[in-house]
Amino acid sequence: MGLKGRGTIPAPFSKMRNRIGRFFYRHPGVEGFLFALPYMALWAVFLAWPVVYGIYISLFDWDPLRGSKFVGLANYLELFREPRFWNAVVNTFKFAGMTIPLILGLGFVFALMVWGWGRKRRGIVVVQASLFFPYLLNVSIVAIVWKWLLERDVGLFQHYLNSIFPSAPVFLTEPAWALPAIAVATAWWLAGYRMLVFQAGLEEIPVELFESAEIDGARPYHKLVHLILPLIKPSLLFALVLTTISAFRTFGQVLIMTEGGPGWASEVLALYLYRVGFDYFDIGKAAASGVVLLFLILVITLLGVRILGLKSELQ
Amino acid sequence: MKWIKRYGPYLVLYGVAFLWIIPILWMADTAFKPTRDIFSIPPKWIPSHFTTEHVERLFAEWPFARWLLNSLIVASFVTLGSLVVSVPAAFSFSRLHWKGRDAVFMFLLVFMLLPWQVNIIPLFFMMTKFKFLNTYQGVALPMIAMPIGVFLLRQFFINIPRDLEDAARIDGCSSLGVLLRVILPLSKPVLAAFSVYIFNYAWNEFFWSMICLRKPQMVTLPVGLKILQGAFEIDYGLILAGAFMASLPSLMVFLLLRRQIIRGFTLAGSGVKG
Amino acid sequence: MRKSFLWALVIGLILGVWATAEPIKLTFNTLFHEADAKAMEKIIEMFNEEYKGKIEVELIQGRWAQYYAELRLSVLAGTPPQIGICHTNKLVEMADYLTPLNASPVGDLIEMAGIDPAKYVDAAWAAGEIEGRHYLIPLDTHGWGLWYNKDIFAEVGLDPKKPPRTLAEFIDACERIKAAGYYAFHPAEDALPRKLRRAWYVFFWQMGGQLFDEDYIHATFNNPKGLLALQFLVDIFNDFGWNEPGSNGYNQFAAGKLGMLVAGNWFYGTAAKSGVNWGYAPMPNFFGTPYTWGNSHQLVIPLQPKGTPREVYLAAMEVIKFISEHSYIWTMYGGHITAYKPAAENTELLASEYWIRSGKWLNEMAQKGLVHYPINHPKGSELEHAIQAQIELAVNGVISPQEALAKAEEECNKILQGG
Repeated sequence: MGLKGRGTIPAPFSKMRNRIGRFFYRHPGVEGFLFALPYMALWAVFLAWPVVYGIYISLFDWDPLRGSKFVGLANYLELFREPRFWNAVVNTFKFAGMTIPLILGLGFVFALMVWGWGRKRRGIVVVQASLFFPYLLNVSIVAIVWKWLLERDVGLFQHYLNSIFPSAPVFLTEPAWALPAIAVATAWWLAGYRMLVFQAGLEEIPVELFESAEIDGARPYHKLVHLILPLIKPSLLFALVLTTISAFRTFGQVLIMTEGGPGWASEVLALYLYRVGFDYFDIGKAAASGVVLLFLILVITLLGVRILGLKSELQ
Repeated sequence: MKWIKRYGPYLVLYGVAFLWIIPILWMADTAFKPTRDIFSIPPKWIPSHFTTEHVERLFAEWPFARWLLNSLIVASFVTLGSLVVSVPAAFSFSRLHWKGRDAVFMFLLVFMLLPWQVNIIPLFFMMTKFKFLNTYQGVALPMIAMPIGVFLLRQFFINIPRDLEDAARIDGCSSLGVLLRVILPLSKPVLAAFSVYIFNYAWNEFFWSMICLRKPQMVTLPVGLKILQGAFEIDYGLILAGAFMASLPSLMVFLLLRRQIIRGFTLAGSGVKG
Repeated sequence: MRKSFLWALVIGLILGVWATAEPIKLTFNTLFHEADAKAMEKIIEMFNEEYKGKIEVELIQGRWAQYYAELRLSVLAGTPPQIGICHTNKLVEMADYLTPLNASPVGDLIEMAGIDPAKYVDAAWAAGEIEGRHYLIPLDTHGWGLWYNKDIFAEVGLDPKKPPRTLAEFIDACERIKAAGYYAFHPAEDALPRKLRRAWYVFFWQMGGQLFDEDYIHATFNNPKGLLALQFLVDIFNDFGWNEPGSNGYNQFAAGKLGMLVAGNWFYGTAAKSGVNWGYAPMPNFFGTPYTWGNSHQLVIPLQPKGTPREVYLAAMEVIKFISEHSYIWTMYGGHITAYKPAAENTELLASEYWIRSGKWLNEMAQKGLVHYPINHPKGSELEHAIQAQIELAVNGVISPQEALAKAEEECNKILQGG
């Protein structure tokens, strides 16, 4: 694979191409920009423009039928005065704090298992497929199934749990347990894909490294911390990015499993935004909270770049 | 002792896999048991009789086959479209140099975490103007515009050894030539991995599809499943039958392409410097 | 002269035929799903058959979750459906987005279509008016009633033909059912937050309570009546031991483990399939007036873009009228009680199993004006979210009923007075 399949180019074309090539050689920036252009155009129209327009709307008391009023930062001030908004911000971070380690941890353990024990063992594909399968389900299905598993009477999980521990909490009805329960459901859903990512990273590690570590008499723990983790850092980074994305966008699970309850105990930002926009139809305020969310994400991304050393690799 | 060493791992592997898949088994179980067994207290694993009633209703009372087709078209459209625009963009962001490149890329990254709820209302008005509501392109284009593909592919491209490209350049290759003859042939696995990710994303995308697609004949599976799920109560048999049927195609694709997918991740991962 | 007249006639005819050859195409958006969606499909199929070549209705259904937001967005984008559905309690919120039928751009549509207000259930018709402008044509009344398990009743020595009517009878029934080891009573379907809130409404309304003052400036539920109603709701799940917090009444009832369930007419399908030997009764009189929670679906013409031709409005009214006249089908297959009086006397409907086993009781409640509509305010959804969050916490035992009402009152007042 690689360089094969390169043929000679017919003369007229090659001449024309040379001319173009020369132009690009003199103006390398133009060429680079042209390659990115198709994507950037789509991005600008379908992603960036709506966001910019959203920022514009956030400065209005938006009501096209009666006439929108420019209100400056009033939507933001109203938002900041609202305890429910801050509660949603806190919940979003709480949820991210629970679900990101859970997903990555489970994915990593599964990957270690399948990679460490799976080689030369038959039927590993069954195990792998089982662990991966939930990822194929739609989020509303995951939520419906888990809501049902956790239901008091006919819920499988809750039923068996309560028959062992009669005083066990009914998770979705307790403010302290609702978010963790949703985090577990989310981990069940998403860990399988992370497993594949980690497994790929593990398979990249040269076998010789292990053999020499073996000879040096390294303990499993040392192998993990000094050998495996540094070497799969790229996979880890990749999975971390994907997982952070899904954690901050979490919406469907919460809407279906708890509707943000009990009380406001599991209302995350995406759900709050949805309610303000789609239930209360307060578009200006919804846009304002969207902008705040955008800002938070910006900060997180920049911090992430700093902390994880993505920066070095941007150069 | 020897016995444990030999079969222990099997036990753990299969044990974990089994625990993990209990919800799915139950889902499948529910899809094929009569309604009165579904609501049994305590839960009843073995149905009083096997029934395909829910699956039949799915196809008889709802355009389920059409939903499958819609999802297939949208997901394929998104996957192909993403590849076509993301590959050159990732190439540009990783291996070509132009002013402001990295700043623009950082800017893209921010949009990766953006929830749909932030931009959906302006997007809706725009799509109305374009007359793109209820169309495949309307639902697909905003998904194609997501930065995730550019990010993933760039991670890989950036680490393909410089020598290969230099050799090709010396041979008179243009940048396009480098992309087509050097980068792409090396990238088949990572393209496969990305395709799986984006296909699965499009296959399951719900929020935007829900807003954009209104006609029952045009909706995709996730929206269809939402339609099955009533406002007042949930017809578990029907909706779990739907969920079960909807996940079968993806499972088959996974089983068929498993090796390529893992290989794809391997190469994608190795691309990133530590 | 005569010749040219003839020519004009011929051309006129051709033009006329050509013009009518293209049927008027209308879109009808509803928030129905499952049984009621199927029923509406039946009616619209009949309509399209009868008006073939003249009017063609495309029905788009199943989108309940964000129906109102979508309706508003489509009006703003200039692509509204020509016919839609609106709940009575959403009218204040939605009025800007609807065509006033008696003052439309092309005239008084109600009169032009020959719709007679006297033929509709009074309360439902009256709900469609704001300041002299009439926006809604009633389709149905739907709401909660009492479903009970006849086998359990027989087992504990209650008469399966006499479901409890008074508080004393009700408490006796609950205690007996509880003693036999069943869940006695579930007041709120599947106990979702909004259902718990409705259950509390029912108790509060029965005591004569009003949620807000007339001008919607203050919440008026944080008082002894509101507290008693909430205490009762909380006790059902806790101190009385009639049920447990977080349990799903639908499932308990369908599993045959629940004696009595308060649920809507939409539960009929599940009940019929569950194999439970069930009966249906109007809401018992717990606290004075036997109100139940309910609402009414009404037909509307969303606000159309400027310059929409008269024919389109008239065609939409034609559809609305047709649906009213055929709404016995709506009741028979969809379960909601028709608001069109002549349709409620349809012999096919009166002989149907649904009507005999449960529909007629709900109809009776509707006729007596016992179906109480929810709050009708531009910020209704926000107010209701604020209330239900606290109700849910109280039921789950996280906070006391006093705290819940105080908190809900505070949040409601903030929403009402915050501009």
